[in-house]
Amino acid sequence: MKILSNMFEKMRPLFEKGGKLSRLGPIFQAADNFFFAAPEKTKTAPFGRDPLDVKRYMSLVIIALLPSFIAAVYFFGWRILLTLLVSYAAGGIVEVLFAVIRKEEINEGFLVTGFIFPLILPPGLPLWLVAVGVIFGVLVGKEVFGGTGRNIFNPALVGRLFLALGYPAAMSSAWIEPGLGKWGQLLSPIRLTVPEAVTSATPLVLAKGGTLLPPLDLFLGRVMGSAGETSVIAILLGGIFLIMVGVASWRTIVAILVSFAGLNALLHGILPAAVSPVWFNLSAGGILFGTFFMATDPVSSPITQSGKWAYGILIGAVTILIRSFSGFVEGAMFAILLGNICAPLIDEVVIRTRIRRYANER
Amino acid sequence: MKIHGGYTPKISGKPQSIVEELPLPEVLQLNLERGGLSYKPIVKNGQKVEFGDSLAEASAKGGTLLLPSPASGKVTLVQNNGKKSLALEVSDASIITGKYEKFQPQRITAEKMRQALAKRGIWPLFWSSRTGGVPALTESRLPKAIIINCILTEPFRARGKVILRRSWNRIVAGIRFLPRLLADYGTIQIILTARRDPVARMMYVDLAGHAWVRFHSVPLLYPIENPQILSQAIRKSDSSFKKDDVIWAIDVQGVEALGACLAEGLPLYQRVVAAGGPGHSSPKHLCVRIGTPVSGLMSEDSKPGRGKPPESLILRGGLIRGEPVDSATGSVRYDDDAFFFLPSAADRQFISFLRPGFNKTSYLPCFATRITGAPDRHISTMQRGEKRPCIACGLCESACPARLIPQVLHRYLYRESLDEAEKAGLNLCVNCGLCTYICPSKIELQEQFLEAREQIRLEHEEIAAAASSKSEKNENPI
Repeated sequence: MKILSNMFEKMRPLFEKGGKLSRLGPIFQAADNFFFAAPEKTKTAPFGRDPLDVKRYMSLVIIALLPSFIAAVYFFGWRILLTLLVSYAAGGIVEVLFAVIRKEEINEGFLVTGFIFPLILPPGLPLWLVAVGVIFGVLVGKEVFGGTGRNIFNPALVGRLFLALGYPAAMSSAWIEPGLGKWGQLLSPIRLTVPEAVTSATPLVLAKGGTLLPPLDLFLGRVMGSAGETSVIAILLGGIFLIMVGVASWRTIVAILVSFAGLNALLHGILPAAVSPVWFNLSAGGILFGTFFMATDPVSSPITQSGKWAYGILIGAVTILIRSFSGFVEGAMFAILLGNICAPLIDEVVIRTRIRRYANER
Repeated sequence: MKIHGGYTPKISGKPQSIVEELPLPEVLQLNLERGGLSYKPIVKNGQKVEFGDSLAEASAKGGTLLLPSPASGKVTLVQNNGKKSLALEVSDASIITGKYEKFQPQRITAEKMRQALAKRGIWPLFWSSRTGGVPALTESRLPKAIIINCILTEPFRARGKVILRRSWNRIVAGIRFLPRLLADYGTIQIILTARRDPVARMMYVDLAGHAWVRFHSVPLLYPIENPQILSQAIRKSDSSFKKDDVIWAIDVQGVEALGACLAEGLPLYQRVVAAGGPGHSSPKHLCVRIGTPVSGLMSEDSKPGRGKPPESLILRGGLIRGEPVDSATGSVRYDDDAFFFLPSAADRQFISFLRPGFNKTSYLPCFATRITGAPDRHISTMQRGEKRPCIACGLCESACPARLIPQVLHRYLYRESLDEAEKAGLNLCVNCGLCTYICPSKIELQEQFLEAREQIRLEHEEIAAAASSKSEKNENPI
C-alpha cells in the first residue's frame, strides 16, 4: 500500500495542471481515488462529514447485484463474465473520453450501469452487440445530458431499448437454455458465439401460449430469460440488502409491487384466460429485477419522496398492462422508461404543492 | 412532539457527565462580539474593575445591553486584526454575591426584570420568533410562550441533563421569574427527553401545580434544539397559537443564569462547556469563567509546549454548526457551551469504500457500526469523499427538519434562479447544516444557501430603498 501510495505521489505532478500528461488527469485521478480515500479537507461548516460517499453508495448497488450475477454465471455459463468485461470496457471508453473532453472527474455511476447492462440482456447475445448497446446507452442515455446526475433516462435501459428496436432478430434469438445439472453451466467452456442459442422460449412467451412454468424453477432461476432476471431468490437477496442499507427507495419498490400485483389480481379475476396469475407474473420476466435495481436508480426517478409513490404506481400498472394487452410479452423496460419520462413532471407537481404550503408557513 | 427528519451522528469522545471546575486563569480574554452585536468598551486601558462591573455596551432595540466583568482585576484594551477585545488580569477570584439587587418572583415588575437582565448580560441568551434573534428590550408584543430547552443534541454541546443536575435550584428559581416576561395567559413550555427519565421526573414533581408550565418530550435528534424548529413544533402541537403569536426560547443554561441573576444578584460570569470529540483525550464538562482561554480546555497531553503540537481543529460549538477557533487566542465567550476537538487530517485510507466500517457511522445504515453500535472514531477534517454532481439520493430531504427539499434548492441555485429557490422555501431553511453533513456527493449546500439568502436579502433591501426614494419623489415634486 505504501509503495502504491508513493508511486501515486510521484506521478501526481505529471497529471496536474501544467504537467506533461495533464489531459489525462481524470484517468489518474480516478485511479488515485479508487485506491485511496479523497485527500480534500473541509473548508466550510460542517467541518466533519458523514463517511458515506458516492463511491460507497454505488459499490453497495454492485454488492447487491452480485447474487444475480452469480446466478447468471451458474445458469448461463462464464460467458456472462465476458459480456461484463465487454460492457465495462466499451462503456468505460465513452465515460473516460467524455471526462477528458469535459475536464471533469470520472463518475462512479458508470460502474453500476456497466454492471447492470449484461444482466438485462439475453445471455447469448453477440459480444459486439453488447458493446454497441452499452456505448449507445452511456452516450445517448447519459453523456449528452451532461453525465451522471443529470440524465433523464436510465442509461442501461436506453442501451437495451436501442438493441431491442435496432436488432430485434438478434435479441430474440439469443436465449440460452439454463444449465440444469448440479454445476449448472459452470463447467462448460466459454464461447464467444453461441450457435445453439434459441428463439424465445422465455416464461412469458410460454405463458402467452398457455403454459405456466413451475414456481420452483422460476424461484431458483432455472428458466430462460435475460441473464440476471431469471433467479427470483438472487434478486430478492440483493434487493433486500439494498433496502436494508437504505440505498434503494423502499417507497418506489413497494409502490411498484403493490400496483403491479393489485392490477394483475384484478385483471386476472376478470380475464383469467388472457392474464396470468399474480405469482407467475411477479416471478417471471424482468419486473423484479427492474423494480429493485432499475426503477430505484435515484437519478432517473423522481427526486421527491412523495413523487416516488406516484412513479412506482405508474411503472407497476403500465408493466402489467403491456404484458397483458400488447404485442410485447414484457413491459418492465418500457414502463420504467415511461416512468423516467414522467418523473420530472411528477416532481413538478409535488414541488408546487410544497411551495403552496411554504407560502402558508411564511 | 415530533420533528421531521433530524439525525444525531454517534461520534466518539462524548463528554462525561461530571462537571469539573476549572481554576481561574491569570488572564481572561473577553471577546466583544456577541449575538451579532459589537460591544464598545466603556472602561479605560489599565482601569481596575470589580466583579460584575460593566465593561462594554451595545445599543440594541429598545435599550442598552451591557457586558459584566466575570472577575475583579485590571483591564487592558487589545486590538487584534482590527477586532477589539479586553484582557482582564485577574487580581481577585472571589464572586461578590451582593453586587446587584436580589428580587423575588412575586415582587419584580417586567420592566425591572428586563433592565436587570440587560445590565447583567443575560438578555442576549433569549431568542424571539419575531426578530429571529435576540428580542427587543421594549418588545411591543409580549411572548405568548417561552420555550425552555433542556435538550442539546448536537455532538457535543453541554448536555441539559448535566446542567439540570448541577444547578437544579437556580433553574427552578429562574423558571419562577419567567412568567413576568409573558403576555397574559402565556405559558412556559419545557422541552425534555422521555418522561420516564429520572431528571425529567424530578422536574415534573417540582413544578407540578404551576398551571403556566407545560412539558413536552421530544426525540433526541439533532437539530431539535434549534429555536425555530421548536417554536414551529409547538405551534403545530397546540392549536391555540395564532400564526403571528410571538414565541421566545432560552436554553436551560440561560435559565440557570437568569435564576442566579435575579434570585442571587449575580451577573453572567461563568459557563458550563462541553469539551469533547475524538481529538480530546479526556472529554468532559467544564465549568469555566467567561474569558478562559481555549487552551485551558485542552486535555493535558495536547497542550502546546508539552512536546506534542495540537493535532485537532477546535470548533466553537458542536460538530455540525461549529466554527474553528484559534487555540492560541480563542477564549470562552458569554454564550459558549461547547468546544469540539476534531482531529485535523487522517491518513488516506486504502480502498476505504469497500471496508466494512467498524469505526464509521453514517446516516445510511451501510457501515458495520450499525450492527456493533460503535461510535465514529474516524471522523476528522477530511471531506471523506469526492465532490460529485447531485445524484438525487434524497437523503437531504429525508433529514431536513424544515421539510425543505435541499436538492431542489440546489438545482435552482445551480442555474442561478434565486427567484425559484426563494419560492421553494429557501428562507425557511434553519441553517442546521444537516444536509451538508450527510450529502454523499459532498456538495456545500449550506454555504450555497447562506450566500443565496444574503443575495436575496440585499435585493429586497435595494427594492425597498428604490420604492421609498420613489415615494419621496412623488411626495415632493419639485
